[in-house]
Amino acid sequence: MILTQIILVLFVGGIVAWIFENQKNNSGKWVCLLAIGLSLALLINFANSNHEIFHQYVQLSNISWIDNFNVFYATGLDSLSFILISLTLLLALICVLVSWQEITDKVGFYYFNLMASIAGIIGVFSATDLFLFFFFWEVMLLPMTALIAIWGHEHRHYAAIKFFIFTQVSSLMMLIAIIALALINQQQTGQLSFDYFVLQQLSVSADIEFYLMLGFFIAFAVKLPSFPFHTWLPDAHTQAPTAGSVLLAGVLLKTGAYGLIRFVIGLFPQASADFATTASWLGVISILYGAKLAFAQTDFKRLVAYSSISHMGFVMLALFSFDQIAYHGAILTLVAHGLSSAALFAMAGMVYARLHSRDLQLMGGLFASAPRMGGMLLAFVAAAFGLPGLVNFVGEFMSLAGSFKAMPLQVILASLGLVGSAIYGMYLFQQSFQGPVKTNIIDLSSRELLICGSLLSLLVIFGLYPELILNHFETYFVNQVSQPVLGMEAIG
Amino acid sequence: MNALELLGLAPQIIISVAIVFQMLLIAVKRSTVIIQLFTLGSLIIATLTLYITLPALDHQITRLFYLDGFSLGVNLIILSCAITVTVVSGRYLKVSQEVHDEYYLLLMLSTLGATLLTISNHFASVFLGLELLSIALVGLVGYLRQRRHTLEASFKYLILSATASSILLFGMAMLYAYSGEMSFNGLLPDTLDKARQSARILAQAGTVLVLIGIGFKLSLAPLHFWTPDVYQGAPAPVTMLLATVSKVAMFTVLIKFWFFAQHYLDQQLSLIIVGLAFTSMLVGNLLALQQTNIKRLLAFSSIAHMGYLLIVLMVTSQNSMQLAMQSALFYLMAYCLATLILFTFICETSKANTDSDADNWQHWQGLFWQSPLQATAIIFALLSLAGIPLTAGFIGKFYLLTAAVTNQNWWLLASLVIGSGIGLYYYLRIIFVMFMPIKGGETLPKRGVVGQSLLLGLTLALLTFGLLPQLYQFY
Repeated sequence: MILTQIILVLFVGGIVAWIFENQKNNSGKWVCLLAIGLSLALLINFANSNHEIFHQYVQLSNISWIDNFNVFYATGLDSLSFILISLTLLLALICVLVSWQEITDKVGFYYFNLMASIAGIIGVFSATDLFLFFFFWEVMLLPMTALIAIWGHEHRHYAAIKFFIFTQVSSLMMLIAIIALALINQQQTGQLSFDYFVLQQLSVSADIEFYLMLGFFIAFAVKLPSFPFHTWLPDAHTQAPTAGSVLLAGVLLKTGAYGLIRFVIGLFPQASADFATTASWLGVISILYGAKLAFAQTDFKRLVAYSSISHMGFVMLALFSFDQIAYHGAILTLVAHGLSSAALFAMAGMVYARLHSRDLQLMGGLFASAPRMGGMLLAFVAAAFGLPGLVNFVGEFMSLAGSFKAMPLQVILASLGLVGSAIYGMYLFQQSFQGPVKTNIIDLSSRELLICGSLLSLLVIFGLYPELILNHFETYFVNQVSQPVLGMEAIG
Repeated sequence: MNALELLGLAPQIIISVAIVFQMLLIAVKRSTVIIQLFTLGSLIIATLTLYITLPALDHQITRLFYLDGFSLGVNLIILSCAITVTVVSGRYLKVSQEVHDEYYLLLMLSTLGATLLTISNHFASVFLGLELLSIALVGLVGYLRQRRHTLEASFKYLILSATASSILLFGMAMLYAYSGEMSFNGLLPDTLDKARQSARILAQAGTVLVLIGIGFKLSLAPLHFWTPDVYQGAPAPVTMLLATVSKVAMFTVLIKFWFFAQHYLDQQLSLIIVGLAFTSMLVGNLLALQQTNIKRLLAFSSIAHMGYLLIVLMVTSQNSMQLAMQSALFYLMAYCLATLILFTFICETSKANTDSDADNWQHWQGLFWQSPLQATAIIFALLSLAGIPLTAGFIGKFYLLTAAVTNQNWWLLASLVIGSGIGLYYYLRIIFVMFMPIKGGETLPKRGVVGQSLLLGLTLALLTFGLLPQLYQFY
């Protein structure tokens, strides 16, 4: 029940924050910090006493919910979910901190939406019943859309509607695939079931499996996002308030990757293996195309948004190579990108708070007046282009090295993306902080220093000791995806 | 007629008796409040008597009616909608000394017609119920005769509805000519096979005409042209009645006609239904995109929703029929709840003595900050229409998808996905407008306690059925 407790703590925390904020200004954020801190404590406490979650998928609750469809309220935890939930909670703290002074309007409702979407995201990472998963998948969107539509920038309505329609339509396809899967199970066993572990045992003919896999794949590829489903992302990221961008880039995109690992590869190993070539090419295109477009941007946030597409391409490529090292690389890239893109978006928010613009052409020479800020930005940009010593390097290196055996041509092309990321990274830094001094700004405050410092130290720690994460994934991975590896050899 | 049959007809008998008493009441003392309370009371009693009809479930009641779980569920929807309409009408009509007793009389008559339709299993009772419903509705649509749009709407509805009825009647006549039977069960394809070839064509033509007549009442595209104008012109509570009671009752007739007479086995007829579903989903959603009038927007969105609902008709075997009926029932319930919420709000903000209702949704700007309860109710209603989880609309859509996947209607599924994608756009725009900063100067009229609690109750029902759908089950 631990996950339910965390979700409830966050959700109720959001409601309490809303009420408190209405009573007394500036009390809402403290309530949020408290609720997120409590959730983190609950999670760590649970993980300390239950080490088995790092070796297998542990079901934590299984309560009958909708009898008509045999739907259960079923949640579970394994190392993948655990890492992503911890990342979510950590970034939730960052989100509250970056919103500290940015949000001045309708503050109570803002924190409620923030907390509700975090609660929904944790639900996504923990559901083991496909109906419940879909439920959370949709529910997390509502407060996220509200965050963009109410507190966003100038074109917020357009961005919010685009974001919502893209994810909705794609997830309807996933819903159809889920229903079809459950009905096939009913035909074979006489029992309608949405349970992940039951459906995993299902044997489906290759044709149907392929179409079902495609239904899931499209939904997750939109979320990841992968070329050609990426067009919602630059708009949503650019228009969202800072915390919204942090949450979108840091966590929401990871739900797409999580879905690919857990559902596409987990439920349809054979069909995924057949689809691997196409998926890996989509990954490569995303890497190069994202990098190219990032370089062409003059908007700080839009540049970082396109770089996200590029980085997520590595994850796609690595996952569909069905290689243990590449899989580890993908996990590390998820964590690394979660931290570094969150940091870059937070940076964009800080610059915006000072200049009221995201236009790179209006910036320049900011280093002179804000050296600490410049140093931090340089470090995060270095993380984004994969400087050794930071976790992004480890993640991308392992992704490429692992995938090379299965798909050498794609990897050769994808590694050009690393060059691209260095170009747009340096472009970003030069345009904003170097060159002739155009304006003077105030340097980082201690709150902002705390945000940047904590993210940077995590990037360094995981960069130097990636085993902190990877140690938890060895046994699990071999059990889960051993089938497709065989399948690949048979095909190859 | 034995005791069981009387029991099965109890709600209809109670409403009929109440109508007689309404007329007596008008003769004795004319008072809007008294007749409203009387109408409300008799509708509530009729709803409660649904419980005592349970022993007659799955029984033929005289030659005209057949009571099954589906009819029971639909009757519950219809009576609840009629109760809501009665409640909101009070405030809406209270503008002058004029006594509105005939309004409630017409309301009861149309409700009687609708409840008769739901249990009909015979062309005679279908036509009787249909005419009761339509003629009373014509009176209601034109009730606020001083309004310009109302008059137009009333005439449009009268003429087109009469045309549709005569087409329906013609179709029934053709079917009777071929089969010598007026009940739905008498039109089975077994008997059809034995008939001569020329008679078969007669039967098919008759069925198509009946479908067109029903399709008009359901406003399926391309038979939808009257809908937006009538929705806009009719007084808000009457539009509410049109959008819920009338649609639900007609859909019940369609379902029974389709399933009891086993038309779903006919490939050509199925093709007609698929075509109607396709066009309704696309036309409804596309035309709703640019509407600034909420009543017109809901008219187009109701066209789309009826199109979605047609999916349940496409079954391939007897086994999936039950799932289809269950899906239709739940979807209708979710659709009605959401529509009731939206129209309750429109009725609350409008008055009968103005030239038109407060139906421009762009005036709802900032509603969320001004009146959170009402805005929240509208948001959930719109999300339910869009089929987003937490609300009953999602479960309704889930049912539809399940029915469609079971019967492998991939093309209809594709258009459902596209249609919902388009639909999201106009639903979301309304929601976003409510979140925008309050416009200075414009304030909404003061809100009554009754309307507020009604909205709260309906929203709670919407969420409850969305989270625990097993509470609404009649099979």
